[in-house]
Amino acid sequence: MTAKTAQRVQTVCIYLMLIAGAIVFISPFAWMVSTSLKPLKETMAMPPQWLPSDLQWENYPQAIDEMGEFWRYTWNTLYLCLMTVIGTVISSTLAAYGFSRIEWPGRDKTFMLVLATMMIPFPIIMVPIFLVFRDLGWIGSFKPLWVPTFFAGAFNIFLLRQFMLTLPKELSESARIDGASELQICFRIILPLAKPAIIVVALFQFMATWNDFLGPLIYLTNQQDFTLSLGLQSYQSQSGGTSWHYLMAASTLVILPVIALFFFAQRYFIEGIATTGGKG
Amino acid sequence: MSKRFSAISFRVPVILVALLVLLSGCGENPREDGRVVIQYWDKWTGSEHQAMQDLVDDFNASQNEIYVEFLSISFISRKLMLAAAGGNPPDLAGLWSMNVPIFAANGALTQLDDLAASHDIHESDYLPAIWSELTEFDRLWGLPSTPGATGLHWNKDLFREAGLDPEKPPRTIAELEAFNEHITRFDDDGDIEVLGHLPQEPGWWLPNWAYWFGGDVWNRKDAITVESDASIAALEWMASYPERFGADELLRFRQASGNFASAENPFFNGRIAMVHQGPWMHNFIEKFAPKSFDWGVAPFPSTDPDRYGVAIVETDVIVIPRGAKHPQEAFKFLSWLQRPENLEKLCAKQLKFSPLVETSESFYENHPNPKIKIYRELAESPYASGRSRLTNIMDFNRDMVNAFDQVALQNLTPEEAAAAVQRRQGKLFDQSYRRWLKVRDARLEDKTQP
Amino acid sequence: MTRQERQRLRTGLMFISPWIVGFLVLNLYPFLSSAYLSFHDYAVLSKPVFIGTENYSDMLADELFWKSIWNTIYFAAISIPLNLIIALFLAILLNFDLPGKKIFRTIYFLPSLVPLVCLGVLWRWLLNGQLGLVNTVLRPITDTANALFGSDVAPPNWLVDPEFAKLGLIFASAWGVGNAVVIFLAGLQDVPRTLYEAADLDGCNFWQKTWHVTLPIISPVIYFNGIMSLIMSFQVFAVPYVMTDGQEGPGRSLLFTATYIFFNAFENWRMGYACAIGLILFLIILALTLLATKVSERHIYYAGK
Repeated sequence: MTAKTAQRVQTVCIYLMLIAGAIVFISPFAWMVSTSLKPLKETMAMPPQWLPSDLQWENYPQAIDEMGEFWRYTWNTLYLCLMTVIGTVISSTLAAYGFSRIEWPGRDKTFMLVLATMMIPFPIIMVPIFLVFRDLGWIGSFKPLWVPTFFAGAFNIFLLRQFMLTLPKELSESARIDGASELQICFRIILPLAKPAIIVVALFQFMATWNDFLGPLIYLTNQQDFTLSLGLQSYQSQSGGTSWHYLMAASTLVILPVIALFFFAQRYFIEGIATTGGKG
Repeated sequence: MSKRFSAISFRVPVILVALLVLLSGCGENPREDGRVVIQYWDKWTGSEHQAMQDLVDDFNASQNEIYVEFLSISFISRKLMLAAAGGNPPDLAGLWSMNVPIFAANGALTQLDDLAASHDIHESDYLPAIWSELTEFDRLWGLPSTPGATGLHWNKDLFREAGLDPEKPPRTIAELEAFNEHITRFDDDGDIEVLGHLPQEPGWWLPNWAYWFGGDVWNRKDAITVESDASIAALEWMASYPERFGADELLRFRQASGNFASAENPFFNGRIAMVHQGPWMHNFIEKFAPKSFDWGVAPFPSTDPDRYGVAIVETDVIVIPRGAKHPQEAFKFLSWLQRPENLEKLCAKQLKFSPLVETSESFYENHPNPKIKIYRELAESPYASGRSRLTNIMDFNRDMVNAFDQVALQNLTPEEAAAAVQRRQGKLFDQSYRRWLKVRDARLEDKTQP
Repeated sequence: MTRQERQRLRTGLMFISPWIVGFLVLNLYPFLSSAYLSFHDYAVLSKPVFIGTENYSDMLADELFWKSIWNTIYFAAISIPLNLIIALFLAILLNFDLPGKKIFRTIYFLPSLVPLVCLGVLWRWLLNGQLGLVNTVLRPITDTANALFGSDVAPPNWLVDPEFAKLGLIFASAWGVGNAVVIFLAGLQDVPRTLYEAADLDGCNFWQKTWHVTLPIISPVIYFNGIMSLIMSFQVFAVPYVMTDGQEGPGRSLLFTATYIFFNAFENWRMGYACAIGLILFLIILALTLLATKVSERHIYYAGK
């Protein structure tokens, strides 16, 4: 066997494994979409059918209808996404700037504290945080879900700081010599340069809000204020184990915007995630 | 170009935020006509929700001071707890009566004794089994909307197929199990095709099976008694199922069963012949079962043929959470709803019987549920009672459900399962009872709004 | 401190002030008040009553607490290594730089975008014992095995079977491994080519190169991914909540510590107890993180050291 054939065999093997993996990863989506287009009878057929005999597009409007206030949930979710993205971008840009572009005594030690807060998962402190919002009279409103993002989360600071550290120091120094204030430097010089990283942070925050379940579960009491995640869960627990075609249609509708967003901003997603791990 | 873009991209979100803030503020405005808006949450969906909505509409049209806003809330006991703990509860909420003790003990409900007296609402108007569901610690915490009583529901066609008399439901548990053997059949793969009965279908009252064995899981005062003879007997009854029909087979049977409110409900699609259910069944059978579905209702048999008529009586109960913004106005709606004609209208629409002692002639004549009288008789049976009145009922129920699960899966013997619940719940009960006694007087005296 | 330093300190603090406020109000204060409440009986609508360490001694005796800890550790102990291995394996495959690599990367990444509630709903359906995709695939395999060996195995009932429910959850979360794949891939691409060339000269085969060159160099990335999934898996809540309709699964097999905190706080009105459990969970996470750091210190290779 020549080196060349060995090379070729290796390539074929890798492709086979890649394809096998791809089938495993893609088939849940396929099953979801296939179920969402089946009539009820075919979802219950034994043995299960791979494809619907006749595409039931009306399952989608029907699922929206069954979910109750689907459009209301969508609007609520979008509202929260927008508010949290704005909050995160503003606050973590400022904080990351403070942790990367200004050298002040104790900075790096304080930054360790920022990283340490990532170690406190939400369920651990959800009771006292709930009580804080209770004292503010915010339970049952959207505020507990978006106001905190105006106070810079650790992960976003970390991400932006990593990026801002890579920008040359001379940029700020020459601006300082020209008499620019730090705020001006931050917004006029660093912010435009850090745009890719800010987009990444914004995307991550959007995803996090779209995804969030425990927060809405404990803060939102009125069904009309539900987010899509919470609305989907509440719909499934009401209709659980039966109308799988509607449930899959509803799930597809909740996933679709995220997938669409991903294809628009694929580069930012992949690079953003790659940098999170690279310099940990 | 890029500079202009960034200018726009900064302005756009600012404008959007301003818009959103404006829009989101809209919902909070008081009504223009100056009526007090009452928020009322209840658990119902579909036609049951519509039935109450019709009454709310009637009330809103009947006067011009109060406007009731009626919302359907799923998992209402959890949502009400969050809202009450968060200091932002609705003015009215529809709980299940088993939730009354835990909400009352934790100071989440308004005491209604004085309000009820001043609105001419009296204990003697209500069925005793219902009234006792509304009270706890000798105080009144809510008023009923629609009550229910449970009984045996059987599929007459499956009785016929098994060669049984379709008009003769079992009178004792032993008889029920004999019928069960007749009816149950397996298909060629060894899967259960039709099952006579399964204590876990639907399993909504698993913790209370002890009633049909002549006992209870607590002494109705200050101790848990999961290891009592009746309670063990109920678990032994459960244990006999996997022995006879196979633990795996039962598991597969349960997984193939759909949700209650669906055509895949095993009772509706003829896979199980006898279930423990309530008056709402008529409604759901009309909706989900085949047109020819032939069924009957009778008391669920107990071990003792002389104690025929053991039933669980519960009621949907409307409470005024403590911290509600308009308790007086909320009670006005509540007392309006308690008028016999209104309760009868609501209960008829939900296919239930009236919680009041007196019932008008026309109520039964026009009632859409042809079997309604049986349920009403069950509610008045001397052997009828509510669920355990425990202040940690959810936790207790989960422990009991788990005990039945473990027994059904043959992981634990009935004695082991009962001992495990007794150990944990006995301790929790003692603890909460002890703590409750400490705060009891202060809490019951405190009738103010927080 | 010089004047200039003070000046810089002031500006720095000004910039990080959003974080400081957030830290004080949303991290430090809740943490301290959690500790305070953990020594109290607190039913939210009445004043906290001091009960000493009763919550902690209750916890030690509470079978459900131990069950929830055991379930959480079981889940983490299988899920973390499994996810790391799958992610690393896929990343190594992708790192071969073959045409079409980007398409595969996208396919592997997509599931990690799926919102947790959707993931729970979807996998509940996929893992349905009778009608789900997983068993539709498994059934021919078990049937063949039965025919060949005369055995009698059937695909499990996953989420309704206490023995398999957690495994079902583990598979569901392994599907969302794409994040880690991307991180590993970035790490792999940073491995200097020259090292591989040197290994080639020494006559190393692919596995030797992976073992002796790739793994040591990307060890910091493995550590990072490991810690991240440790923290994530100890707070698992949403997916099991969805899979069980807000309950605890068959035979309590899906009762996790976060779920148990939720039940105690928001259903049993035992806020103090919930806080105590939260603190213990935090200590466990902290201890495991420190342990992982200690162990990995010896094995992590940092460029330049």
